[in-house]
Amino acid sequence: MISVLTPLPVLLPLLGAAAALLVGGRHPRTQRVLSILVLSAVLVVSGALLVLADGDGAAAVSVGDWPVPLGISLVVDRLSALMLVVAATVALGVLVFAVGQGAADGDEETPISIFHPTFLVLIAGVANAFLAGDLFNLYVGFEILLTASYVLLTLGGSAPRIRAGITYIVVSLLSSLLFLAAIALVYAATGTVNMAQLAVRLADLPAGTQLLLQSMLLIAFCIKAAVFPLSAWLPDSYPTAPAPVTAVFAGLLTKVGVYAVIRTQTLLFPGGALDQVLMWAALATMLIGILGAVAQTDIRRILSFTLVSHIGYMIFGISLASQAGLAGAIFYVVHHIAIQTTLFLVAGLVERQGGSTSVDRLGSLATASPVLAVLYFVPAMNLAGIPPFSGFIGKLGLLQAGVEDGGWLPIVLVGGGAVTSLLTLLAISRVWNRAFWRPRAQSPEGDTFEAAAADAGPEIQPAAVAADAPGAAGTDADGGADRSADADTDGDAAEGLVGASAVAAPGGRRTARQAAWKRHAAVATASTPATDGFGDEQGRERPLQPLPRVMVGATAAMVAVTVGLTALAGPLYGVAERAAGDLLDRTPYISAVFGGEDVP
Amino acid sequence: MTPTVVLPVIIGGLYAAGVYLLLDRSLTRVLLGFLLLGNATNLLLLSAGGPSGLAPILGYAEAEEMSDPLPQALILTAIVITFGIAAFLLALIYRSWRLVRQEVVEVDEEDRRIARRSDTDADEIDPDDLAPEDRSAMHADTLAADDEVERRLARHFAGIPSDDVDLPPTRRADR
Amino acid sequence: MLALLLLHLVAATVAPLLVRWWGRQAFLALALVPAVGFAWVMAQLGAVTGGGEVQETTPWVPTLDLEIALRLDALSLTLAALVTGVGALVLLYCARYFEPDDEGIGRFAGSLTAFAGSMLGLVLADDLLLLYVFWELTTVFSYLLIGGSGARLAARRAASQALILTTAGGLAMFVGLIMLGETSGSYLLSEVVANPGDGPFLVAGTVLVLVGALTKSAMIPFHFWLPAAMEAPTPVSAYLHAAAMVKAGIYLVARLAPGFAEVPGWRPIVLGLGLATMLVGGYRAIRQNDLKLLLAFGTVSQLGFLMVLVGSGSQEMAAAGLAMVVAHALFKSTLFLTVGVVDHATGSRDLRVLSGLGRRLPVLAVVGGLAGASMAGVPPLIGFVGKEAAFTALLDGGLPDRGVALLVLTGLVLGSVLTAAYTFRFLWGAFARKPGCADVELVHPSAPLFLAAPAVLALASLLLGPFSPLLEPLAAGYAEELPLIAPEAEKLAVWHGLQPALALSAVTLLGGYAVFALRAPINRFQRRVAVGASADEGYWNTLQGLDRLSVLVTGTTQRGSLPAYLGTILLVVIALPGSVLLFRAPWPGEWRAWDSPIQALVGAVALIGAVLAIRIRQRLSAVLVVGVTGYALAVLFALHGAPDLALTQFLVETLTLVVFVLVLRKLPKDITDRHRPRERAGRGLIAVAVGALMAAAGAVAMSVRTATPVSVAYPEAAYDFGGGQNVVNVTLVDIRAWDTLGEISLVVVAATGVASLVFLRRRTGAVDRMDPVELARQGRSSRRAPRGQWLSATAALAPERRSVILEVITRILFHTILVFSLYLLFSGHNEPGGGFAGGLVAGLALVLRYLAGGRYELGEAAPVDPGLLLGAGLLFAGGTGAVGLALGAEVLQTAILENTFPVLGDVKLVTSLFFDIGVYLIVVGLVLDILRSLGAELDRQVDEDDPIDVSPGEVIVR
Repeated sequence: MISVLTPLPVLLPLLGAAAALLVGGRHPRTQRVLSILVLSAVLVVSGALLVLADGDGAAAVSVGDWPVPLGISLVVDRLSALMLVVAATVALGVLVFAVGQGAADGDEETPISIFHPTFLVLIAGVANAFLAGDLFNLYVGFEILLTASYVLLTLGGSAPRIRAGITYIVVSLLSSLLFLAAIALVYAATGTVNMAQLAVRLADLPAGTQLLLQSMLLIAFCIKAAVFPLSAWLPDSYPTAPAPVTAVFAGLLTKVGVYAVIRTQTLLFPGGALDQVLMWAALATMLIGILGAVAQTDIRRILSFTLVSHIGYMIFGISLASQAGLAGAIFYVVHHIAIQTTLFLVAGLVERQGGSTSVDRLGSLATASPVLAVLYFVPAMNLAGIPPFSGFIGKLGLLQAGVEDGGWLPIVLVGGGAVTSLLTLLAISRVWNRAFWRPRAQSPEGDTFEAAAADAGPEIQPAAVAADAPGAAGTDADGGADRSADADTDGDAAEGLVGASAVAAPGGRRTARQAAWKRHAAVATASTPATDGFGDEQGRERPLQPLPRVMVGATAAMVAVTVGLTALAGPLYGVAERAAGDLLDRTPYISAVFGGEDVP
Repeated sequence: MTPTVVLPVIIGGLYAAGVYLLLDRSLTRVLLGFLLLGNATNLLLLSAGGPSGLAPILGYAEAEEMSDPLPQALILTAIVITFGIAAFLLALIYRSWRLVRQEVVEVDEEDRRIARRSDTDADEIDPDDLAPEDRSAMHADTLAADDEVERRLARHFAGIPSDDVDLPPTRRADR
Repeated sequence: MLALLLLHLVAATVAPLLVRWWGRQAFLALALVPAVGFAWVMAQLGAVTGGGEVQETTPWVPTLDLEIALRLDALSLTLAALVTGVGALVLLYCARYFEPDDEGIGRFAGSLTAFAGSMLGLVLADDLLLLYVFWELTTVFSYLLIGGSGARLAARRAASQALILTTAGGLAMFVGLIMLGETSGSYLLSEVVANPGDGPFLVAGTVLVLVGALTKSAMIPFHFWLPAAMEAPTPVSAYLHAAAMVKAGIYLVARLAPGFAEVPGWRPIVLGLGLATMLVGGYRAIRQNDLKLLLAFGTVSQLGFLMVLVGSGSQEMAAAGLAMVVAHALFKSTLFLTVGVVDHATGSRDLRVLSGLGRRLPVLAVVGGLAGASMAGVPPLIGFVGKEAAFTALLDGGLPDRGVALLVLTGLVLGSVLTAAYTFRFLWGAFARKPGCADVELVHPSAPLFLAAPAVLALASLLLGPFSPLLEPLAAGYAEELPLIAPEAEKLAVWHGLQPALALSAVTLLGGYAVFALRAPINRFQRRVAVGASADEGYWNTLQGLDRLSVLVTGTTQRGSLPAYLGTILLVVIALPGSVLLFRAPWPGEWRAWDSPIQALVGAVALIGAVLAIRIRQRLSAVLVVGVTGYALAVLFALHGAPDLALTQFLVETLTLVVFVLVLRKLPKDITDRHRPRERAGRGLIAVAVGALMAAAGAVAMSVRTATPVSVAYPEAAYDFGGGQNVVNVTLVDIRAWDTLGEISLVVVAATGVASLVFLRRRTGAVDRMDPVELARQGRSSRRAPRGQWLSATAALAPERRSVILEVITRILFHTILVFSLYLLFSGHNEPGGGFAGGLVAGLALVLRYLAGGRYELGEAAPVDPGLLLGAGLLFAGGTGAVGLALGAEVLQTAILENTFPVLGDVKLVTSLFFDIGVYLIVVGLVLDILRSLGAELDRQVDEDDPIDVSPGEVIVR
């Protein structure tokens, strides 16, 4: 049973891609239906695998039925099955979103004949990476998903995408080369690339050589996982891609790196050497990443930086090397895949609604589209680790593990984690304040005289008086402080308090208005991109077209998934806990590959 | 296994040259660097298989005198992968050239913009920089009041000295 | 209890809907929800005062000790009653506070109901973590409530300030709670308090938790968010900032005091900050002109008072504290609601403008007066009872240390004087008629329902005074957990006879009136001594500092330059594995010179090529020398005994060169160098270091090999299982076919990518062929071209671009090469060759056709859509795997079919051949795709020089 299911998460998308190529762009409808069917099938299969793996432990398939150390083995244990399920879920969600987008505005962003086959192959690569029980096959898996990601990232070949693509591609190439070199070293030292066998053979090597191999592999994986100081490439490359592409990248690709790190630290090099290094890296990743998010003014970039920053949480959990720590890390990976994907999809919707993702160009989205507001607010709070959402639960698990450990460095990291979570809240609440609450007129881009007037508000005086003085109220209403209106006020409002206040009024209003005007100018000049593609007016005068149903539906479904993680946290965390247990005592994995007999 | 002297020297040389080219700003040279690095890595993989031997083809050589076939298979895969990606990179170079008439790695403007950012958004600037009615109520308490208003009120409500700025009436706030 | 919480949740979610249907009347329906809660709580009164508890537990995340454990004891019951009761009344009040045409009522109603629910959960939670959950929820909803529609900057600022500040405290508390939980070994609040345990984290955890409580309850120095939050509509202030949310900190301290009051650091923090807050709050309250602000500072002051009472950890103080909590909730929400009515009626809250309102709104005046009296501590109201109890407790006991007790007492008396003072200021300001100030007109009449809520609350304050003994069982029920310090426990009552405490109460009232009477000079004095700075500004400056820091850090780490990023990565490589290699790894004992001398020779060639590649600035030549390195590598492979490798490397290298030429013909001849010497030096250093590292690493890794490689078993396995003699090929298409499958899918994607970058929107469609008519015309027109057509479409080429020799050679070779490629494909299993080699050869044949005959010739040679080739290939290769599965075998399992056919004789067919065919197709498809896009399409773009397609936002530097 399991031997039939295991290869499917890779085979199905590949065959789907083949079909997509044969169909070509000729029958878009069939194409879309096909892709969705394939990914749904993958989701079902992964679910079955998870049930099986969680029920009767890890299992392995030797491709082509070759005797074990010779051929390639695919291994399904709790961790990989869990990863498969989450990956399939977000992939499906993103695909539906993309289909909706394609249906909405034609082939522009996601050209059928390129996007669909490539996307399917990407998923196949991700699945292969999760299933690989063979170091070189893991490399191949990485290469598949990376190449697919190159194509998706440069989709449409516009200037910003090409630039972003170059950064991303070259860095990824370097990491792949390092990975391949590490494999070469590993084979040179042990004479095998089968991970289960490596788990045994590496232990026999001299400590120094082990450390060498481990550090090489870790660096290669940490580049992919975007761990500081190897993370700078990510925020430069992700934000420019089409919304669905960015979403699936942010959700999945870095986590594949994290997954590889987990395997390296538990299966291959359980000694816990380099844990200290990883802890420092985790701390730096969390703090520097989130500071980056605070500095940004573009929603997608903010999200990219939070992505980097929260990778630190997972590395923290891994570096604790305790069951609690690993369980926390695994749960956080699951949560983070879902939440980042969702938020990037929401960012895509925001761009459609507001014509930009820069908070300086957006405004009053909460009133413009309450649905969008909810779709942003819930996952955003989740990301910031506000209870009762899954982000909080993951954070709880990690911090508990840290306090349990009790060492001074873990405690420092616990503090760092708390600070990170606070700054995340700061960053995303600013987005809410400015993009969703702040009226468009007040946004730095809308720095017109009228906007300034509106912002300055009516003159300062007790409202009772304002009520008594219709003239003054009138000038309030018409905003622009024209002398004639003021003259009238002076005329009819003769006596006492009213007159005095009304006379004083224009002065007060003018100064206030000038202040507001100055502020607008200052802020606007401070944060208008030096060279950016479209002018402001494109941002402002864009008509509010209703959001396509399918896209909203897909996003809403993803939000539902993230909320569902909260409800399912109990069983889910149970799986994570057991998976962590399997990882720590490595026998389930090894015996799954080699059956009963001892490893050659 | 005993390593040879020659292979590491070649590998090291290729790596050095490849890295040097990879760090260039010209995409063509970056690509060339990538190719060199690929070759170097393949050679490293080959050397990992141990000493040279006869071609691993049955009937042509006996099993024990063959060179290790596994690294060869891995290298073959790696070669093809490298070729595919190189082709893609060339297309990328061409596209970049076609768009901006240069094939150098550009600097990310948004990063530079952020690095240049001086002022923060209105929602965060110091309350004293804000128009009085924009200050949150508590700030009214910091005696940094709008004198004009103060003078006016003081004139009309003698005997009630005040150093506060009002909250905006809530009725307006709700509308 | 869970049902109650869920009820709130449901109500909150449907609230916007209800509002859409019924307008503001929906609040009446929503008010029922907390009312139900109140009824339930009251129903439990008997059980709880009888010393019992109501408990309820639902598992959530057992692994993390996070469970929905709810528990109702004396303390929870008191708070729960307040939360639900006041909540119901406030919602009732909202039904008239809002105008029917107000916007955003739905949102407001939802948030307020949700807040009520989470507040109820907070006081019921018996699990540390669950408590935190509700704690944060209240924060979030208060954020939404304060921000309102978000149209006003001040509201947004206040909202985010409250959010960030209280969450900061909350996170500190979160860490603290985890520490306490780990220390005591249980996360159940009741068990933790019963047995705090002992450990390194006890003190730290306690302090952190206190930080959370202090921020939430607006203690100095975090007090400023509360007055700022007065931006919110009055009902919110009355509920969140008087009765409910700000009490959360008080509740937590009261809850923990029995277990943690003795923890070092507890009393200094709680008592010190509590007193300071009480005094500062009062001091500021007596100079406010906005009634709402006045009440806000009053609340701050009162919270300090409560903090002192519940924090001092003695039975008598705790009892007083509980009474005072009830009292404060009642009178303060009444006063806020009163201000709301005033504001609603007159449109102003400025006590300099309001005048003679007492006559206009007598009922309101009475209500406000009662509440005020309770606040000032006038008998017989509940406020007096609580204050009296506190004074009595401190006079004979209250705290372990007498000195401290007396100090605290004086502080409380002073604070109460100020309280009385600002109470007078409030009542005078709201209702009195002021000299030289016209009576205000009533803009809106206020409906009776509008006055109901404050009236009920005021009545409660009045009645609970004489009937305070009713509170006694609750107060005692909670306080008995604490040690009794005073000689005997005083019962709550209005009249304890003539006692020093009574005198103190009198003092506070008289002193208060004095301060009020002397307001003018005092305010002048305050203005003179006032300091310019405030904690508020401190907050904003911190935020700005953070912003500057973030910009600084990001600016330095995020340089936006690719070489910088690559350099960083490589430096890490040099630092980590490099140092390991130098200091830890065992170096090889012995070395061999080489496998064969020729190896060194070829290697030298390769190195020379590499070095030249660095020096040469001319594009094409640089490419050529790199090619030389590649060919040298092929030779090295051959020498090493890897013919397949050598063959493939040779073919790939050639093809790479071709592709390079195809692209580079469009690019300028030379590479412009834009690097400063220092950069070059740096690059050089990194390069050399990395080179040395990798070389050494390889040797080091090899030298430690003792295990026998898995591949020793390959040869016979290859023959027996794989049915092939070429071990490498069998490895590729069989033993490690899974790798190959992945690899070819990668190739497919790469081909797609090339097409995508050239055609941008589509990848489909074959190379266009020349239509026959055109062809014929071309043939006739081109006189100078040779008569005989060697290649069908060369006529399309301009004569000067044609070369007869090339055409002839192509004509002769093309099909031969194709046949050879097929031979390689089929023989590959037993001799050098295989799908890759075959495909590459076929590809080269196509290249030849294209070079000789131009793009139309390519169309003639391969009139197929490369997409189809790729798809078919992938289907073939993947299909073999799937078929295996379908037949019940393992994925990609091979079968060997041997059969004797009449003519052919003995034929041995290995199914993995189909896999290899797939590979062949895909490689051909890749080459065709490359030629089609980078070759033919580029030609077309030049021929028809179509404008460079630029999507908006792309700048073109010419």
